[in-house]
Amino acid sequence: MAEITLKNLSIEFGDFKAVDDVNLTVKDGEFVVYLGPSGCGKTTTLRCIAGLVKATRGDVLFDGQRVNDLTASERNIAMVFQFVSLYPHLSIKENIVFPLKARGIAKAEIARKLDWVTDVFKLGDELRRYPGALPPGARQKVALARAVIRDPAVLLLDEPLSAIDEQFREEMRWELGHLQRQLGVTTIYVTHDQREAMSLADRIVLMNDSRIVQVSEPDRMFFDPINVFAGQFIGSPSMNLIDLVPVSGGLRLGDSEVTLTEKRDRLPQWALASKRPLKLGVRPLNVHLTDEKSAGDALPVDDIFSVGRERFFSFRIGDNIYQGVDKRLSTGGTEGRVHFEPEGLLFFDADTGRRVDAEAAA
Amino acid sequence: MTHAKTSTMDLAARWLVLGLLVVYTLYNVGPIFWLLLSSFKSRMDLFTMPPKLFFTPDLSGYQSVFGVGAAKDSASAIGVFDSLVNSIIVSVAGTSLAVFFGTLAGYVCSRFNFMGKGDFMFFVLSTRMLPPVAVLVFYHLMFARLGLADTRFGLILVSIFANVGLATWIMKGFFDGVPKEVEQIAIVNGYTRMYAFTRLVLPMVKGGIAATAGFCFIFAWNEFAFASILTTTQAKTLPVKISAASGATGIEWTQICAAGVVLIIPVLIFFYLIRKHLLMGMTFGVLGRS
Amino acid sequence: MSDTKIPSGSDTQAIAHATRQNVLRKRSSGRLMIFGFLSPTLAILLFMVAYPIFSLIYYSFYNFSALRQSTMKPVGLGNYAYLLSDPELWERFIFTGKFVFICVTLQMLIGIFVGYQMQKNFRGRDVIFTILMMPMMLSPVVVGFLWRYMLNSEWGIINFLLSSVGIAKIDWLGQTNAALWAAAAADTWMWTPFIVLLATAAFRGIPETIYEAAEVDGASPAYRFFRITLPMSAPVLFIALILRLIDSFKQYDLFVALTGGGPGSSTETVSFSVAKTAFSYFYTGEASALAVILLVIIIGLSMILVRHLTKMGEKY
Repeated sequence: MAEITLKNLSIEFGDFKAVDDVNLTVKDGEFVVYLGPSGCGKTTTLRCIAGLVKATRGDVLFDGQRVNDLTASERNIAMVFQFVSLYPHLSIKENIVFPLKARGIAKAEIARKLDWVTDVFKLGDELRRYPGALPPGARQKVALARAVIRDPAVLLLDEPLSAIDEQFREEMRWELGHLQRQLGVTTIYVTHDQREAMSLADRIVLMNDSRIVQVSEPDRMFFDPINVFAGQFIGSPSMNLIDLVPVSGGLRLGDSEVTLTEKRDRLPQWALASKRPLKLGVRPLNVHLTDEKSAGDALPVDDIFSVGRERFFSFRIGDNIYQGVDKRLSTGGTEGRVHFEPEGLLFFDADTGRRVDAEAAA
Repeated sequence: MTHAKTSTMDLAARWLVLGLLVVYTLYNVGPIFWLLLSSFKSRMDLFTMPPKLFFTPDLSGYQSVFGVGAAKDSASAIGVFDSLVNSIIVSVAGTSLAVFFGTLAGYVCSRFNFMGKGDFMFFVLSTRMLPPVAVLVFYHLMFARLGLADTRFGLILVSIFANVGLATWIMKGFFDGVPKEVEQIAIVNGYTRMYAFTRLVLPMVKGGIAATAGFCFIFAWNEFAFASILTTTQAKTLPVKISAASGATGIEWTQICAAGVVLIIPVLIFFYLIRKHLLMGMTFGVLGRS
Repeated sequence: MSDTKIPSGSDTQAIAHATRQNVLRKRSSGRLMIFGFLSPTLAILLFMVAYPIFSLIYYSFYNFSALRQSTMKPVGLGNYAYLLSDPELWERFIFTGKFVFICVTLQMLIGIFVGYQMQKNFRGRDVIFTILMMPMMLSPVVVGFLWRYMLNSEWGIINFLLSSVGIAKIDWLGQTNAALWAAAAADTWMWTPFIVLLATAAFRGIPETIYEAAEVDGASPAYRFFRITLPMSAPVLFIALILRLIDSFKQYDLFVALTGGGPGSSTETVSFSVAKTAFSYFYTGEASALAVILLVIIIGLSMILVRHLTKMGEKY
């Protein structure tokens, strides 16, 4: 168990800045997810924590101790890689005990740990088989078993589920979360899949373009994004982003006929009075299509579709299509009124993309 | 992958490794250098004591090899240039065909399990086990009877025969390194096996083909025993021609050195041409199927 | 890395399903491919091997001389009996065996070591690699003469270098034992690059992530080499071993040039004896018998090794 601190960490390859001045503290026992699009620096950061990549500037600290100069072997970390990294010439059993044997642990101890891991992962039948005979999902399970058998201080996972069937992925996600809580090992998990992040993380570290964008618990990430990127990256379907045009009485949504007012939609004062152009960010779950007259303005509905048990509708403003939830009682045509939930209204500076709220507006 | 700390033990190990590599490189390159140097020495200079590093260059060795200048070669009816042409034709044709057949056979042995595969593979390997000296006479008889004696075609056959076994075994190894999924995905998507083989798998073993071609070319080019027995005038290859211009007066050292240098140049050229393919694409089938 | 398409989970299922569906249809095209691809190789090998091998075995039972073809009489196992009862022959076999053992061991050890170092990318690696391959490119006869020249006890460069460091001159080619090591040095010089080439290829085939996983798991570089690198490249290295073993047993050209079989006839390998018997004495029948014996030994050894190799391959 260890607390990990990154201080002003920068990793550069020649001219290319893979990681730019990252600061972060991961608490002991915490499950932190590095989330972001491809190439944002999350994997590089992870590999630096592992000791596979050297930091160009800044420090990596385990429990306050600087580990920059320690090799991966010396850091007491365990890692599960994206594309399977089991030793193909060794049996499952030999794969799992490899870390213990490599460090010269006593035979009795190895046997004990093997039993424990076999129990936890339910591997009994598989021990004698070889990685080549197992499907990717099972192989990653073994890789995970191999990782935890050593009781590492830190567990690092680099998109471990990306090569696995959707069906298995959910099951493994659940098992992984459960396992981590059981073991209490500090865990850093890298992924580009925001659903995974939302379901697994204690905290999410959102990265983009070599920098940290936002660090929050999943709920706060969802409801309180720090900028447009954060708002749109999290959540599926993604957040609607609509231009706001100041008109008399409120803010009009782009070129549409819909105007948000203070009275009906509870537009905040500061938003109305803002001197800077704003954009509205509102998640589809907060945009309702209803029959109630008092709810809002009528908006030409583009399409209605179902995803699972929910019905969604899409509407147009200008050239853009946005989405919301269809809450009408009847499944009738395209008539309906649009209601924007006041709690779900998020305002962003149209130029910088940063989130704007009461204090920030000026 | 960068390492962080290096202990003194690691440093000592690194120096040891470097030292050993230097020793090996000297061992490897030294004699070649000496060969090159010696090829330009006159016969007298070759046997001085201590060995000379600096001397006036003498081309008598090369002259004997090419049958010009002071050493006019009268023994054979065919010139050096013609034998060079013979060598090139025989080696290139032999290598190409050996690699071609070997690649096909190696592919099939890698992908399919058919009855008698193990025996076939062993048979192929066993063709290399024949000591040429043991069967020279019989080849001579066989070729004479078939009218293949002293023909380039005959030599090409010999060349293919000598190399196709090696090519098959080495190419099989490389094909083993290509996951079977590659073809299976193509087949699932409606492509034929041939398409998968030529467009998908073959490009992936380019390095293997280069290495195999390299080995085969070396063997084909330097092939001496069969060539000397099976040719008399028309189809003589370069190694035979060069060696023919000696013998009467004992060991002609200058000629041998010069001949060695001359013979190695085409091989060097060949390897230089394929050098990128040799290392780049070379990933051997270690993982097998996964 | 290569551009292998890594199949995702759903692809694997699709493959399994489609493969089952297509199995019957594809089996016929597969068969055609097998036959088509194998026949050229098979045909040419059979053609080239059939007559000589049968002749070899046939004539080994005869008192045959290629020179005097008319006076030929069958002697059954006479040739074999004569050969196997000759103590000198056993010495040749021992000598050949020693030579093969030394050569193969040295070449494998050095080759694997150098191949391992060649893995990492460094500047000018292409050029250095080509230079290292050069000994292999020389004609065996040239190699023999070159080393004979260098090892000459009077004016050879090697003794010169030795004496300049204070070591006494060694009569390399005049004593059997020294000659053995001289020949081994020459053969190793020539063929180690072969092993280096194959070993480098094998080592480069191991994915980087495996090494990273091993490092994270706490394996020292030595542990990684012996438990991961070597086992994973074992099949290829084994093939290299088999090939070198076969070739070493046949070694003839080198000895002709280097020692001429001397001193006396002590450095005659079995192959050399075959040649001498066939072309100096013209006892073709006897030479054939000897060649058959040699062949049997080579085949026997190879069978053992190949069986081991197949067992290794089954693991994957």
